[in-house]
Amino acid sequence: MAQSAKPISSPVPDAWYPSLAVLMLAVGLFITASFFIYEATSSRKNRSLAKELVTGAAASVFLGFGSLFLLLASGVYV
Amino acid sequence: MSSFRFDLLLILVFAIHFAPGLSDLVISKLDRRIDLTSQIVRMTLTLKVENTGTDPVSEVSLTFPEHQANNLALLVAVSTKGKGKSRGSATNLPIKIKQPNDSPPSLIWYAASLPKELGKGESLNMDVLVVFTHMLRPFPEKITQAESQLFLFQESAHFTSPYNVKVQSLTVKLPSENVESYTKLENTKFSGSEIKYGPYENLPALSYSPVIIHFPSNTPFAVAKELVREIEISHWGNVQVTEHYNLIHGGAQSTGEFSRLDFQARPHLRGASAFRNLIAMLPPRAHSIYYRDAIGNISTSNIYGDSSKTLLEIEPRYPMFGGWKTSFTIGYGLPLQDYLFQLGGTRFLNITFGSPMNDVLVENLTLKVVLPEGSRDISVSVPFPVKQSQETKFSHLDIAGRPTVVVEKINVVPEHNQYFQVHYKFSNLSLLTEPLMLICGFFSLFVACIIYMHADFTISKSSSSYLAKLQWDEVQGTIQQLQDIINRCLLIHDKLEASLRELSRNGDVQACKAVRKSADGLLKDFSKESKPLLAILQSSPQAAHILPKVEELMFNRHRWKQRGPLLFGHRNLLE
Repeated sequence: MAQSAKPISSPVPDAWYPSLAVLMLAVGLFITASFFIYEATSSRKNRSLAKELVTGAAASVFLGFGSLFLLLASGVYV
Repeated sequence: MSSFRFDLLLILVFAIHFAPGLSDLVISKLDRRIDLTSQIVRMTLTLKVENTGTDPVSEVSLTFPEHQANNLALLVAVSTKGKGKSRGSATNLPIKIKQPNDSPPSLIWYAASLPKELGKGESLNMDVLVVFTHMLRPFPEKITQAESQLFLFQESAHFTSPYNVKVQSLTVKLPSENVESYTKLENTKFSGSEIKYGPYENLPALSYSPVIIHFPSNTPFAVAKELVREIEISHWGNVQVTEHYNLIHGGAQSTGEFSRLDFQARPHLRGASAFRNLIAMLPPRAHSIYYRDAIGNISTSNIYGDSSKTLLEIEPRYPMFGGWKTSFTIGYGLPLQDYLFQLGGTRFLNITFGSPMNDVLVENLTLKVVLPEGSRDISVSVPFPVKQSQETKFSHLDIAGRPTVVVEKINVVPEHNQYFQVHYKFSNLSLLTEPLMLICGFFSLFVACIIYMHADFTISKSSSSYLAKLQWDEVQGTIQQLQDIINRCLLIHDKLEASLRELSRNGDVQACKAVRKSADGLLKDFSKESKPLLAILQSSPQAAHILPKVEELMFNRHRWKQRGPLLFGHRNLLE
């Protein structure tokens, strides 16, 4: 072979999967909680759609990554 | 048997007519070793080929009778220059089936192409390994539990070579020191567990001298009728191998009844022909190994792992007697960095082809390599001929499915367990589609929630309860805004108090006065804002019970505002 073949591994180290899963899910659930608290306590007049969407987007990003790392940590290599 | 004799006759007839038309290679020394210690018959030929003619020769042909060639699983020829201490490097010779036009159909020719032409008078050493399957015939074909297996093996004491052979010998290694019967030709010796035929000198080409050996053998005859091996690659760090076996005991069929009591009490007398364990050599660092079948997990298994291999010893639910079948699944995971490599712009997977089980003959091997979604330009390179095709597999978090390469081969022996490569292209950005799908899923939940909160699903928009609810919402909104204003007022008051404390510490009256001025301005704005809100509250009937409390709060705040300047006035007096 002209060049030597380099082994490929995961972009995120394997050993970090469980910790990352817990961390991201915790942050995601926290933001979800704040989203639902905002929904429950705000009245129809004061509700701001932008704030809702931003909170929802942030929560779904963290929950999405958290659930991905949870799947990887539990052995379902998707 | 009769067809066998007919072939022999044909070959003898052919030998007489064909001899003059060949190239002038002569095999000066031929040693054959046939290993009968397992169900797979391995023949090793060590020959020294000499070119006694004038033309240089580029090919050496090996011939096998048809009934042997049909069962031939692997033929490997290696040539070495020099002898003994000065042995040169060994080169693998490419083999192809090349049938000359005037050869009888019952003789199959394999031509090994030499890397360098053999000139006049030169000689070459060759080592050939031939692996045959299904060559041992059980005789008797049906046995009871107490009997041991006997097999028939038919071969020719003279190697049917298309060239004249000067000296040749044949050694047959048996699995034990017993033999039922064997053909006794001249120069036959039986010592230990080996039968030696030869040496025979100056035999013409294509000479044939049949020998039949009838011997006992109780080595495990595990034949996998079908093996489906699935290798799934995940770029997140795992190669998952799942193997589905359909195993049968390929020796003499078992008749009569099976007595478990006899088998457990005296396994060597009643059940010598059965095998209980299978051993698989898995690669090192294999994890999450499981062994299950259609019923569930099978717990009779052991794993012994070290740094060079992981040894898996499995015991099926019952011992395997002749003709008995079992089917099970073995799965294990391997770390990605041992098997996936990057070369230039392409990635390739380097993994073993065959079954990791020791000495299992696989009749139908189907190997599926499942590549992650988004892989392009897939190509497979296997060191021996196979049948390839492509399909798609739908697995976790897939949109279009994962491209799968299906490789099929018949009659796979443990010598086929070599490394093969699958090349493909994949960009790491495609890895992000999986978390992106999960994120979209969660976001759709949040959007649904938002829509639910914003949408108004009441049927009648003029009923009294609906109107009351609207007014209630409005009151709630107004109170929240008032609350907001009051909170901001409280912040201003805190700032004022802080400035007063500063004043008592360092006597800076000017800064305190500035803070007071800004606070006054802001408080004026707040009272202006709260006026319309108070008006809404006063007009709405729902706010009746909360209105007095709000007015009390406003009044209190007003009083505090009036007191504030008094405090300041005191300070100024002090100064």
